[in-house]
Amino acid sequence: MEIITLQSFLIVSLILFLTGLYTIVSRKNIIGIYMGIELILNSSALNFASFSRFAGRGLEGQVFSIFIIVLAAAEAAVALALLLAVFKRQRGIDADKLNILKG
Amino acid sequence: MNIEIKEIVFISIVLLTIAPCSVVAFSRNILYSAFALFFTFIGTSGLYFFLDADFLAIVQLAVYIGGVLVLLLFAILLTKNIDDIKKTNTISLRRSITAGITVLVLFFSLFFVFLSTGWTPLNGGAAYPNGTIHELGRLILSKYLLPFEIASLLLLAVLIGSLVLAGKTVRQRED
Repeated sequence: MEIITLQSFLIVSLILFLTGLYTIVSRKNIIGIYMGIELILNSSALNFASFSRFAGRGLEGQVFSIFIIVLAAAEAAVALALLLAVFKRQRGIDADKLNILKG
Repeated sequence: MNIEIKEIVFISIVLLTIAPCSVVAFSRNILYSAFALFFTFIGTSGLYFFLDADFLAIVQLAVYIGGVLVLLLFAILLTKNIDDIKKTNTISLRRSITAGITVLVLFFSLFFVFLSTGWTPLNGGAAYPNGTIHELGRLILSKYLLPFEIASLLLLAVLIGSLVLAGKTVRQRED
């Protein structure tokens, strides 16, 4: 029985994705929600790389993984800057209390 | 059934990736979540080595651990008092029940789909013969040149935008 197959990589990235989803929905802190987003981006990059390894002929899936990592880094910078701005204004980063745009 | 040493290393790396995820999802202390995320990123980098993606593994180490995680720790320490850090990462109980049910249903259905589908490797499961850096550079600078340039523009916009958002606002004095 082979262990290092496409299925095992898919299951690992499935578990990463689902814990990220759970984290996003259940957390109250914005930084906690952000960690869930990072897990999901990680799992998608891993998925692209594993399909590129097992089901493709070239390296094009890895190019997509690189772009995902670039986008994740950019998103990290913007999200954490926004978070600092929100904290300066509201003295707290509870996502449930950020409802001043509600009419 | 004999297990080779490569598979033992693979299983331990998978455990290193998956086990800290529960800490990320369930810990009440947000610093513990951040440090658990560190191990998850290291494990993902190891999985990239198993996928023969050497450049991706290095990029994962450099960008995620060197960049994203340090930024995350700075954000945590800048936004919360250390005193009450034990309850910084609380969970909404009502939403967590809904999320748990959804996640369980998705997990079992997708797990079944993954195992029951016959994935046949197109290239006979052979690895990419050489190091990937040369070919990746060729691809990025020829076929994916436009997304590459757009990504560089995006990084410039992010640099300026995050400086504007998080930088100190100097209030103009009205005389």
